[in-house]
Amino acid sequence: MPLALEAVGVSKRYGDRDALYDVDLVVRPGELHGLLGPNGAGKTTLMRVLLGLVRPDAGTVHLLGRHVESADRRVPDGVAGFVETPAFYPYLSGRKNLALLARLDGEGRDAGSGAGVNDALDAVGLSAQADHLASGYSAGMRQRLGLAAALMRSPRLLFLDEPTSSLDPAGARDVRALARRLADAGAAVVLSSHDMSEIEELCATLTFINQGCVAFSGTIDAVRALAPPRVHALHTSDDRAALGLARHRPGISAAPVAGGGLEVCGHDAVLDEYVIALGCAAIAVRTLESRTRSLESLFLQITGNADAAEVRTARAEAASGVRVPAVMS
Amino acid sequence: MTLRGVCAVIGVERSKLAAQLKTRLVLAACAAGPFVFAVAMRVQSNVPADTLFGRSVTESGLAVPLVVLGFAALWVFPAVASVVGGDLFSAEDRYGTWATLLTRSCTRAELFAGKVLTALGFSLLAAVVLAASSVAAGLLVIGGQPLIDLSGVLLPPRQALVRVALAWASALPSAVGFSALAVLASVATRSSAPGIGLPVVIALTMQLYALVDGPEAIRRSLITSGFGAWHGLLAEPSYYGPIADGAIVSGLYLVVCLAIAYRMLQHRDIGG
Repeated sequence: MPLALEAVGVSKRYGDRDALYDVDLVVRPGELHGLLGPNGAGKTTLMRVLLGLVRPDAGTVHLLGRHVESADRRVPDGVAGFVETPAFYPYLSGRKNLALLARLDGEGRDAGSGAGVNDALDAVGLSAQADHLASGYSAGMRQRLGLAAALMRSPRLLFLDEPTSSLDPAGARDVRALARRLADAGAAVVLSSHDMSEIEELCATLTFINQGCVAFSGTIDAVRALAPPRVHALHTSDDRAALGLARHRPGISAAPVAGGGLEVCGHDAVLDEYVIALGCAAIAVRTLESRTRSLESLFLQITGNADAAEVRTARAEAASGVRVPAVMS
Repeated sequence: MTLRGVCAVIGVERSKLAAQLKTRLVLAACAAGPFVFAVAMRVQSNVPADTLFGRSVTESGLAVPLVVLGFAALWVFPAVASVVGGDLFSAEDRYGTWATLLTRSCTRAELFAGKVLTALGFSLLAAVVLAASSVAAGLLVIGGQPLIDLSGVLLPPRQALVRVALAWASALPSAVGFSALAVLASVATRSSAPGIGLPVVIALTMQLYALVDGPEAIRRSLITSGFGAWHGLLAEPSYYGPIADGAIVSGLYLVVCLAIAYRMLQHRDIGG
């Protein structure tokens, strides 16, 4: 099956700073692919390059099998999306905005009353406000309108940049469900988000970007295998004794926390043995709470410091099918 | 670039302009302004004696469109060209809508062509409305008397009307040239203030230069030179050299400004 998205060696330089360096990205049809990275990592620049808004200094991009850096720089049919909070003409209604965009997609003059616009508005739950001026829309409503504008293109490859950042929980849930439905129907969805739980919940594959480079690209399962031990908050009946016990157990690190309790770090199997040992030592475990998710742990490790990157790279060498370039080590 | 794509962009831009108050106000001013002027001339005793055909405005209604044309050449054409041409591109920066547009099925070339044609079309529409309104105002408020031309020859109303129409037509290339200048300012600065203001300032500077004793070659290369070329149409015998020169100069401005603007847009990265 042909790839929905194939970017090879994409680089973009602004002044003396590499916004992107040698970025590879592959997304297959039906795949929900997460794009993660700290602020300024290059996620949005990469999305702009992929959508043809920014011309890369090097590299090639193929969307749905078509080279986007062709002479006319036209976004191929079936490719849609938005970068950052989508913007619209404030002096037009949401419906009129969509109707004009539909005309640019080749729809007729009466696109505003057509099924495409109405269906898209229904899909994002904006039908009731569709005839209000866009100037009165909240950021969340503009995100919904941006999603509606993307849906009108019947996307087979959809780029969503922080699509739920301004939505209420119910709206975010609807957008996630919509993304999943599109993927189930065979569309590839590239989802940029700071919400790691969202990525972990939705995406089967993901790419970490840090300082313009791909720091990790692979499946969520591979992430979990690479992830460092989770940090847990532990409260016991005797924290001092629990700390002493931890110091004599390999694979466990523990430290007291101001205000009471311990911060314990270790892989799940080692942690299980430690909790059993606490019970055997008549130390009651009152709470044991995970402070970080596995994806978040890896994210913090990758974006944290060089030592962490070295650990990750060493681990990555043992993993197959996972790209961890040396630039991060 | 396809004709269908360009037409789609023109349709979109036309819808956007129709929804904006400023464009309706400009067209309304172009339609109503000459009537206000003609009525004012009719009810007062003073006439704009220092303007070409100013002394004749109360004697022949066909002088009214020529006086309005002289005034329009100073301010109205550059300002009207700027209102749309100077804002059509930079408005996308102001609203942050470039990414919204460029992720649809139209190319940058189609967007550029469609927007430019819309800007030029609006300038021409405003000029036609102003011309038609001036003629109508003159005929309705003052009357359709014969007109004395610049050589003192009395022109019958029908012949005078044809000359007036040709005079207005001769100013259109310069108006289009100013639209191209406004488009360039809009694309280059990405801001509506210089997009709208710069062409007006440039027009004023050129008009001022025409008053000083500078080299003739520079004077003839100014885009405003075409605005006064109609004088030859109302002389006996008529002469057309300045009209041809003005059209050539305006054409050069059009080609150079649009070529630079197009290159800028094509190579531009659409950032946040």
